[in-house]
Amino acid sequence: MTEPAPVVTARHVALDLIGVAARAVAVALVSALGLGAAVLLLAQPARASETGTGALLLRSAEGAESVSAPLLSTDVAFRITGMVARAHVIQTFENASADWVEGVYVFPLPENAAVDHLRLRVGERTIEGEIREREAAQRTYVAARASGRRAALLDQERPNIFTTSVANIGPRERVTVELEYQQTLRYENGRYSMRFPMVVGPRYIPGALKVSDASRITPPVLRPDSGRENRLRLHVDLDAGVPLATVSSPYHALRTREVSESRREFDLADGDVPASRDFELDWAPQAGPSPRVAWFTERKHGRYYGLLMILPPAASPGARLAREVTFVLDTSGSMAGASIRQAKEALELALARLGPGDRFNVIEFNSSAQRLFAAPQDVNPRNVRLAIDWVRGLEARGGTEMASALRLALAGGEAEGRIRQVVFLTDGAVGNEEALFGLIRERLGEARLFTVGIGSAPNSHFMSKAAQLGRGTFTYIGRIDEVQQKMSELFAKIESPVMKGLEIRWPDGVRAEAWPARIPDLYAGEPVVVVAALDRLAGDVRVSGTRDGRAWEARVPLAAHGDGAGVGSLWARGKVESLTDSLREGAPEDAVRARVIELAMAHRLVTKYTSFVAVDTSPARASGEALKQTAVPTNLPEGWEYGKVFGELPRGATDSRFALLAGAVLMLVALAMLRRRVA
Amino acid sequence: MRPDHAWGAECAWPSAEPRHRPAPWRSFALALLLIGAAQFGHGAGIQAKAWLAQGLIARAWDRTLAGEREVKPWPWADTWPVAKLSAPTLGIERYVLAGADGAALAFGPGHLDGTPLPGTPGNSVIGGHRDTHLAFLRRLRPGDPLVVERADGVRIAFRVFEGDVLDKGDVWVTKQEGPTRLTLVTCYPFDALRAGGRQRYVVFAFEQPNRGGERGTRG
Repeated sequence: MTEPAPVVTARHVALDLIGVAARAVAVALVSALGLGAAVLLLAQPARASETGTGALLLRSAEGAESVSAPLLSTDVAFRITGMVARAHVIQTFENASADWVEGVYVFPLPENAAVDHLRLRVGERTIEGEIREREAAQRTYVAARASGRRAALLDQERPNIFTTSVANIGPRERVTVELEYQQTLRYENGRYSMRFPMVVGPRYIPGALKVSDASRITPPVLRPDSGRENRLRLHVDLDAGVPLATVSSPYHALRTREVSESRREFDLADGDVPASRDFELDWAPQAGPSPRVAWFTERKHGRYYGLLMILPPAASPGARLAREVTFVLDTSGSMAGASIRQAKEALELALARLGPGDRFNVIEFNSSAQRLFAAPQDVNPRNVRLAIDWVRGLEARGGTEMASALRLALAGGEAEGRIRQVVFLTDGAVGNEEALFGLIRERLGEARLFTVGIGSAPNSHFMSKAAQLGRGTFTYIGRIDEVQQKMSELFAKIESPVMKGLEIRWPDGVRAEAWPARIPDLYAGEPVVVVAALDRLAGDVRVSGTRDGRAWEARVPLAAHGDGAGVGSLWARGKVESLTDSLREGAPEDAVRARVIELAMAHRLVTKYTSFVAVDTSPARASGEALKQTAVPTNLPEGWEYGKVFGELPRGATDSRFALLAGAVLMLVALAMLRRRVA
Repeated sequence: MRPDHAWGAECAWPSAEPRHRPAPWRSFALALLLIGAAQFGHGAGIQAKAWLAQGLIARAWDRTLAGEREVKPWPWADTWPVAKLSAPTLGIERYVLAGADGAALAFGPGHLDGTPLPGTPGNSVIGGHRDTHLAFLRRLRPGDPLVVERADGVRIAFRVFEGDVLDKGDVWVTKQEGPTRLTLVTCYPFDALRAGGRQRYVVFAFEQPNRGGERGTRG
């Protein structure tokens, strides 16, 4: 191209000006386009208003939490010896307000906790709690509250949900309640584990009327952005009795102090943590033949109490059993966030692990239940692909109508020549446990139910009892990186034959009462655990069963043995549980109640019929001063999404007006520009 | 030298042959037009869907009254009418759908799962959009009548108690204690352009004491 000679003319200048103007228009246009894009981007999230909005789940939440409710902090010390853990829980109610308050705190304990002590501490004074019938304890407490005396009441709402009420906490005063419990540890696949729940996950109460105590198990929940939270510190003294190999705490960082080969002490590395997820401690003894038998005894009230644990030999790898597996996935609002990711991952893994010859189906439920296939389908790459795609597309929102899912899963009769297994992935955040247990009992048939507890604060009572009634096992998955290992362990269990027909024969001449009365079938890696009350210790106890057609028998000499402190409480706790279970089989409530109360009074146990109450001697609050009743709000379990659980009021607008307006404006601008260019 | 370059390429803007190549801003303008049209279409679509659907739902409601259950207004619908809500003084009739989630609300006011059905004892909660089906809430005044027609044909009369501006976290309005009532929830303010605010406008309407209408059993 040749360079033209510069000729400066008036016309040139005019054209130049036009050029500048044009440039300005271009800039304006680009900005308009940018604005348009921004509008679109902004419109994007709001478009969700048309499709996925959270439905309301919980009817309990009061919404706003009371400002004057006391702050609560918890201190827990565990002492673990052998198969038993004893925990000392200190709850501190701190009243930051200028009023006299009553604080009611709903909190979880392990589902097999035997709570046998309560103390109320005010300043220097300590008041020991007394065990009473629930109503009597309530009356004592109410009378003390009215008279201005400080008092504490401890009730059991569910085997794993308790309530402490503390009356007459003065302005800017601090009152502590101490309780103690005893618990059998879990031993499986050569590892011991202990779980301590820190928070009651908000429960879904279906149909409002079926759960009479709904308000007692659904405390107000702190909004994550409220700036308040309940904190907890804990200390563990682990005395395994044998040299320890590995100890792990999957959900909390710990500081360790090694006392000896077999004994270690732990504290939370962070000092205290928000009480928002289960604590778990797992440990394994050093290699060598893993313990197959353990026998601990305690002498109390002139009787011997013994805890017996026997691990049968592992099953020899045999032929795989043909199975029909139904996976049930909880996609309710409480599963939103981390939980649903863990559950989906677990389910995908399980689907991939199915073998040819198996059949399967998948059910998902929230406010209603839906299944993937109308009937179980053969395992082939196409069906598995279909299932995985379907599961990936599921979203967690809505209610937890578990009953319809259970009905669907347990429907369908015999699966000719196949073992029917139901793998149920849920956080169990429901308040109608009893109704569900009834359903499982009634419809189980030949099927087996395996619960997989998902998330940071699963309902352990639901998980273990549903598995017990479903004659299966329970597994917990608390983090996405545990999915692989936990699901493999579960599959190892459900793929190999069980140990059946287990029987315990106590020596002749020894009168023994053991719980559980009937030993459930054992899956791979599971031990027999029984607690017995005996009039004397002599001879050998014999345990027998059959696995895969082969008989197995073991003998354990009944001698006073080991550090069995607290086994008596565990025995009573086991008996209370058996009695309570008998209600489900139609035992008359009056008779059960009377027996539970008698047992609980003798062993000082909190049960659904008995509570601890502690009352200070002298009045603290003058009769002229008012007492504010407050529910101590609890934390939201870690990884849960507030909006998905409590819901929000339905969303009541679309973007239609905005879209109409923005669209019209953009079109007008565009048309104007096009006209300009054409002109 | 080509005539186009008569006054110097350095001064020529846009470039030398504007009439023959589409100007970049022409494409911008066209893109803008498309985006505008898409937005407009989206907005118009929401409104059209909202009102056309009520027509289809009316037919499903007639079949419901005739004794069928959970009649889907169109084959792929995941909701169905559960009641007809009318405000006689305003001449308003709306078919209430099952479920107060976005999928149902696009087509009609939705009944919140877990609360009693409209016209049955307890607190029945109905949500809806302020710019479509529940736009009439702003015109309701305390004392105005509302009528619910249930699936069994029984009509229950309600009277508006009050309307309140609340937060979306105020889920206490769904509590079941207390007399039989309707709780109608929509977004607030009514004239906001955008969806997604925190505020809600909630109308409480209590059942009229038994005036000729027979009381059904719990649904």
